[in-house]
Amino acid sequence: MSAADLLALDDVHAYYGNIRALKGVSLTVGRGEIVTLIGGNGAGKTTTLRTVIGLVRALRGTVTFGGQRIDRVPTHRIARLGIAQSPEGRRIFAPMTVLENLELGAFARTDREAISQDLERVLTLFPRLRDRLAQKGGTLSGGEQQMLAMGRALMAKPDMLLLDEPSMGLSPILVETIFDIIRNINQLGTTILLVEQNARMALRVAHRGYVIQTGRIVLQDASSALLRSDLVRKAYLGEK
Amino acid sequence: MTESRLVRLFPAALLVTALLGYPFLDRWLQAQTVHAVTDAMIYVLLALGLNIVVGYAGMLDLGYAAFFAIGAYTMGLLNSPVLGSPLYGHVWSFWVVIWIAALVSAALGVVIGAPTLRVRGDYLAIITLAFGEIIPVAIRNLGDITIDIGGWRPVERLNLTGGENGVNPVGRPHLPFVNFDTDFIPWYFLILVIGAFSLWAMNRMRDSRLGRAWMAIREDETAASCTGVNLIKTKLLAFALGASFSGFAGSFYAAKLQAITPGAFEFNVSIMLLCMVVLGGMGSLKGVILGGMLITLFDRILLSQMTFLVRWIGRSLGIATLAAVDLTLWRWFFFGLGLVVVMLIRPEGLMGRRVRPPEADVDEGEETLALVAAPPRPRAETLPAWLREAAATPRRSTDGLPVLEVRGLTRNFGGLTAVSDVDLVIPAGGIVGLIGPNGAGKTTFFNLVTGLLRPDKGEIRLDGASLVGLRPHAIVGRGIARTFQSIRLFQNMSVLDNVLVGEHCRLHASVAGAVFRPPAVVAEEVRARGRAREVLDFAGLGDKAAEMAKNLAYGDQRRLEIARALATEPRLLLLDEPTAGMNPRETDTLTELIGLLRHELGLAILLIEHHMEVVMGISDRITVLDYGTRIAEGTPAEIRRDARVIEAYLGKGYEQELVSI
Repeated sequence: MSAADLLALDDVHAYYGNIRALKGVSLTVGRGEIVTLIGGNGAGKTTTLRTVIGLVRALRGTVTFGGQRIDRVPTHRIARLGIAQSPEGRRIFAPMTVLENLELGAFARTDREAISQDLERVLTLFPRLRDRLAQKGGTLSGGEQQMLAMGRALMAKPDMLLLDEPSMGLSPILVETIFDIIRNINQLGTTILLVEQNARMALRVAHRGYVIQTGRIVLQDASSALLRSDLVRKAYLGEK
Repeated sequence: MTESRLVRLFPAALLVTALLGYPFLDRWLQAQTVHAVTDAMIYVLLALGLNIVVGYAGMLDLGYAAFFAIGAYTMGLLNSPVLGSPLYGHVWSFWVVIWIAALVSAALGVVIGAPTLRVRGDYLAIITLAFGEIIPVAIRNLGDITIDIGGWRPVERLNLTGGENGVNPVGRPHLPFVNFDTDFIPWYFLILVIGAFSLWAMNRMRDSRLGRAWMAIREDETAASCTGVNLIKTKLLAFALGASFSGFAGSFYAAKLQAITPGAFEFNVSIMLLCMVVLGGMGSLKGVILGGMLITLFDRILLSQMTFLVRWIGRSLGIATLAAVDLTLWRWFFFGLGLVVVMLIRPEGLMGRRVRPPEADVDEGEETLALVAAPPRPRAETLPAWLREAAATPRRSTDGLPVLEVRGLTRNFGGLTAVSDVDLVIPAGGIVGLIGPNGAGKTTFFNLVTGLLRPDKGEIRLDGASLVGLRPHAIVGRGIARTFQSIRLFQNMSVLDNVLVGEHCRLHASVAGAVFRPPAVVAEEVRARGRAREVLDFAGLGDKAAEMAKNLAYGDQRRLEIARALATEPRLLLLDEPTAGMNPRETDTLTELIGLLRHELGLAILLIEHHMEVVMGISDRITVLDYGTRIAEGTPAEIRRDARVIEAYLGKGYEQELVSI
């Protein structure tokens, strides 16, 4: 791990339920980077994210964030250290309004003025949410819910954002929009770890990428190199 | 008889010998436990009945003791009518009333079941809780009825139930040469026979068309109805059958105890029965028997023995508090504590099925290879012959009619119009794509066609016959099957059983058929299983038939959902994002499979899909929805160039995307 790394996983082993989901995963995310983790269903992508935020405990190996070991720290404290997650399937608070969902994202914060500035920043990133502030989260369309989940995560003003399958179930036009926004968020200074099945889009937006298969990292490189790799092209881009 | 068969039969023979010999051993030892064990068996029978409702069909019933009361009072009132009852003096034999009690309980099971059909979970529990309270109160108040209308008294001091005093004494059964009066052993053997018969019937029901339907409802009600299970009928059967077993138990209890009072059937009895089911393991017959035995015998035998022990210790040590303790007063404390401990250590119950996926460490080289190589491709030769036959014989004359014809379909949610005036036609053997932005109304359209939602306006016709107003299972029967956007399998059922539920609407076995298994039912079941295996072979899941559905890999789950839909023998297949979450290889084979179904079976297919390569590649025509209205309809080539579709859905980057593929 170099000094520039914000997040580092070193030889992490973890179970998900009864399945040995991670069998020695090592990866780093440098400050300011977008790093993507691609792989098939059940490869261990989501478990990796859950291990980072402490919802799954690493049996072996270490997770370091900003130079501090976090693999034994409870989830709510990890969240306060500056990691926010937009989970797979969005998990927004359906009976609450869009505004309430966003405000809950800032639950751990007390700096009222900065919070309202951040709300403004999120609504600039996601103009569609501004139109729907008073609407209940559950009545949003799938794409809008994805935006809300990401906006809510940003309200914690995290140093690092974990995105789990943000493009899942979205129409082609929305997939493009979401990836544009991801790039925007990153340019505004947030480090991003992106888990995706849509390998083509993920590798286009990310600086570097890791390929995970059945709990092991099998390939890691700059995105442009991965896009040219034989394995990635055959297994994840569907080229013949 | 071969040796292995002997070995297999040995535990069973041992059990039978133990059950038959136990009361005589008890008498020889002067242990005097037969009385308590017989009571325990009554509660076990009750718990087994409750298990049908809670364990099989997954409906939480908090008022089950009401059926126990109804069984007991049916016996009391018909066998020993109280003074003041119109039936007074007419005594019916125990052997007749025990069957009447089961019937009366079953009938009341339907009555209590009926209002609960529309509710689930918490609401169902509250309704059954209320029912469980109403029955003892009603029994208390039916002991002294006087109707006084301005001095005219058509009914005066009518006593139906004996009120608070209950029925005392209740008559006993009579059999030549058997002494039911002073000896507990005949009672023991009688409940043993009733229990064995009930267990035998329940075991057979579980492994039948009906049992599978119950479990399908427990796993996923919506998916069950969209797979052809009649929810109302199946749930009412669960309530009625569950209640009928408690009718047996109740009438036996009344006759054995010789006296019944309303207090014996209150809420805590329902809770204790529920505890037995949960402690033993919901859905497991062995578990429920164990749970029932443990709780009752702990209460009846162990607690009093422990009381003696603790008192003896107290006296020996000279501690007055211990010497005067009565542990039986603490029974609810011990039940609660025991249940909490079991739930923490084994939440699935003592004998509940704990599903652990096998811990397999696969060779990595092989894994990588499997990922890069295509998954097994569907082959026309493996397509089951019976599916071809089913597809070849139309259910009605369909000359020239489209398979599906939707006109002016409209549905509002509150003020929001989810689907507005949509037309869609699928010709025989046609594949139509349905695309549009998220929230455009595509899934709502599916729910309208499959009967999960009712249209506000518009017409839906399958082969010319209207489907509007039919319930989902009836629409499956007419020939429409579907899959779901987020996979909805019956998770805790085997892969084979999932497909068998798909065949449900094409099978005919009744309750009696399931229990007595006449040759026709046996033949039907054998055929159904053979067919299910053929469909699984075709879907490439033949070697996973015995696996639990939830343990399948993601791509396999998607294919199983399609296999289950095929088993309903559809004319039209609705696929909701079938390739979502699949890698490109899996997507390719699934696309091939869809093409094959159209080609070989002539199935019509309606497809919601976000993968443009798929939908553009195999659809004959595409309909595009946006904000609930149809904004375009045409061939894939037309849709790809349509300005409105590009703006609302595809995006400008889409053309470049296609070039790069």
